[in-house]
Amino acid sequence: MFLTRSEYDRGVNTFSPEGRLFQVEYAIEAIKLGSTTVGIRTPEGVVLGVEKRVQSPLLESSSIEKIMEIDAHLGCAMSGLTADARTMIDHARVTAQNHAFTYDERIKVESVTQAVCDLALRFGESVHDEDAMMSRPFGVALLIAGIDELGPQLYHTDPSGTFVRYDAKAIGSGSEAAQSELQDKWHKQITLQEAQILTLRVLKQVMEEKLDQHNVQLAQVTPTKGFEILDETRLQEVIEAM
Amino acid sequence: MDHFPTNWGRPRNDAYDAYGTYPIAQRPYNGPKDAFAQGIQHTQQPIVTGTSVLALKYKDGVMLAADNLASYGSLARFKDIQRLQAIGAHTVIGAGGDMSDFQYIQAMLDELIIDEFTAQDGHTLGPAEIHEYLAQVMYARRSKMNPLWNAILVGGVKDGKRFLSFVDLLGTTYSASTLATGYGAHIALPLLRTAVEGKEDILNEEEAHKILEQSMKVLYYRDARSIDKYQVATITAEGVSISETRHLETSWSFAEGIRGYGAQTQ
Amino acid sequence: MPSIEQPQQRQFNPYSENGGTILAIAGADFSVIAGDTRQSEGYSIQTRYAPKVFRLTDRAVLAVNGFAADGNMFVKKVRQRLEWYRHAHAKDMPLRAIARLIQTMLYARRFFPFYVYNILGGIEEDGTGAVYSFDPVGSYEREACRAAGAAQSLVQPFLDNQIYFKNQLPAPGTSHPAHLPLSTVLSLVIDSFTSATERHIEVGDGLEIYIVFSKGSTSLQGLASVRGLQEVTTTDDGERVFVIRRELKKD
Repeated sequence: MFLTRSEYDRGVNTFSPEGRLFQVEYAIEAIKLGSTTVGIRTPEGVVLGVEKRVQSPLLESSSIEKIMEIDAHLGCAMSGLTADARTMIDHARVTAQNHAFTYDERIKVESVTQAVCDLALRFGESVHDEDAMMSRPFGVALLIAGIDELGPQLYHTDPSGTFVRYDAKAIGSGSEAAQSELQDKWHKQITLQEAQILTLRVLKQVMEEKLDQHNVQLAQVTPTKGFEILDETRLQEVIEAM
Repeated sequence: MDHFPTNWGRPRNDAYDAYGTYPIAQRPYNGPKDAFAQGIQHTQQPIVTGTSVLALKYKDGVMLAADNLASYGSLARFKDIQRLQAIGAHTVIGAGGDMSDFQYIQAMLDELIIDEFTAQDGHTLGPAEIHEYLAQVMYARRSKMNPLWNAILVGGVKDGKRFLSFVDLLGTTYSASTLATGYGAHIALPLLRTAVEGKEDILNEEEAHKILEQSMKVLYYRDARSIDKYQVATITAEGVSISETRHLETSWSFAEGIRGYGAQTQ
Repeated sequence: MPSIEQPQQRQFNPYSENGGTILAIAGADFSVIAGDTRQSEGYSIQTRYAPKVFRLTDRAVLAVNGFAADGNMFVKKVRQRLEWYRHAHAKDMPLRAIARLIQTMLYARRFFPFYVYNILGGIEEDGTGAVYSFDPVGSYEREACRAAGAAQSLVQPFLDNQIYFKNQLPAPGTSHPAHLPLSTVLSLVIDSFTSATERHIEVGDGLEIYIVFSKGSTSLQGLASVRGLQEVTTTDDGERVFVIRRELKKD
């Protein structure tokens, strides 16, 4: 009956005797089913790139939204159960706006990341007879890109609420191959344009379909223009440059 | 600052707010009446009251004095109540104002000391901690528009440091080497300051006691809500002691010689 | 004027006014924040030493004036927020962030205000000296100088004249300086308080002058000969804070 795991994977807040929370581990597994998502930090800014899986020729690819703005200086790309990310990004946006309202300054990248991760382990929580707000862990991982007084930064969050800063990070189905490629190609002096091209190259390697301006999306955060999603013309330019 | 020369030199009217800072000018009220407005009654005035408390710092510690009267308006209602109370091993509080509120505060602080004792964690509350706690309670109550109607002096010695501070029904706090509440702040405090300021490290217990006795006597002559029975609390490194009730020797024969008002014609 | 329709109600007044005066002046790379130490109620002096000026961080100093109980509580709450911020964001709160925070904290109590006039002085992120002034419900602006409290009406016109050069014409071919040197500022502060002490009964006893210097400020040299100076810097971030304590007349 219990083929791979013990019965300890039933409750979301029950540790196994080995000290593991299986539901959280399964959630992390769920991300590996998601589309590949890449983030690269450069001295000039941060680049985010996602693969959009277009399962049908009738699907309107522009309706797939996997990169979102958190604030003018903060962006976010996701992989996994993207619907779950709405809750998290909503929270990140409110946190960033609240910070700007209360302190008249842009929130730090690490602070929004922390705020998002504070949500991650709230599953199964309830007050005496009230229902819990969340029944299971989030099934999504985020790459949060932004610029603050410490410069351009890239953070990775997972369903356990752990967050780590990266120079370059890939998540999702092709992440293993993508990550080793990033490790090979990333260097300290990488330019923003090189990072854009590297992002697409990495995505191209792990994608089944032929890469074009409809099945990938690029975004960046720069000191001058803040967060922006590259429109089709600019994306086309990068693809051609690649 | 009053910019109208015609008002200068006249007693100010604190009830009138020249700049309309608080409260905002009243307007006629035509809205619905709250039938339950009288439902919750908060203290609007003190009922059974104590008058001044005096205190000073001296060489070995802190000394407080308060008389034994609790008045009901102008009636000398209770003539043997104690207005000085030891809180823990290092502190004495003395209160003027509403005596029922003071009893509530005593009960509250006694409980605080018991809780702290029960914890057995090596901490004991000193005068500074008790004053801070009391100030927070007083401020919280005033903020609920339900004040504890008192002016309280907190004195004590802990870890070789003398402590003397004030807190009142508004949560206002301050400290100095001599303090007095109520009428005493007007009549006794100038005398205390003259006698004590600059001599806090010189005055011995006997001298300190003499200064307080003298001030209590002046207050008894001038404050109609006072009585000639008082107690003195002494807090030193050795601990707390509150004296038996003492009697003030006063002489009123000079009253015979007063002319110009009353029944006498000449 | 009480209206006829309403029943006469005696109400507990949760406010008092505790006198005293505060002021702050911004220099090019320093800021001076000062206040007297007398606390009074009506004609009574409650104490001759109750500080109204508080060092918040090594680049921010807050002066509070008005109802003392509200002032002390407000400073306590601001400090608590600064500590939470430090834990959440791993840095000291910048001056303009403190200014905005104070606005939100004051306005949160719009309908039961802290009866306190705040003046915040210190060093901005760009290294310039700054002064922010507030009303009790949170309106605020950055200025070059501000006086508040009992003797505001005596001191502010003096500062307007001496700092903003109001009603003064520059000598032909010259212009008024945008910022004054530290020695001039300190003299103006001391003169402001000795004068206010002379003419206002609620001002006197003691004077505390805080000075905040930006990183590597050259104005520091001006302190060499100052009497009663004490450094109260706590970090080695570069900004430095000093306090000068002086006596004022006690009558």
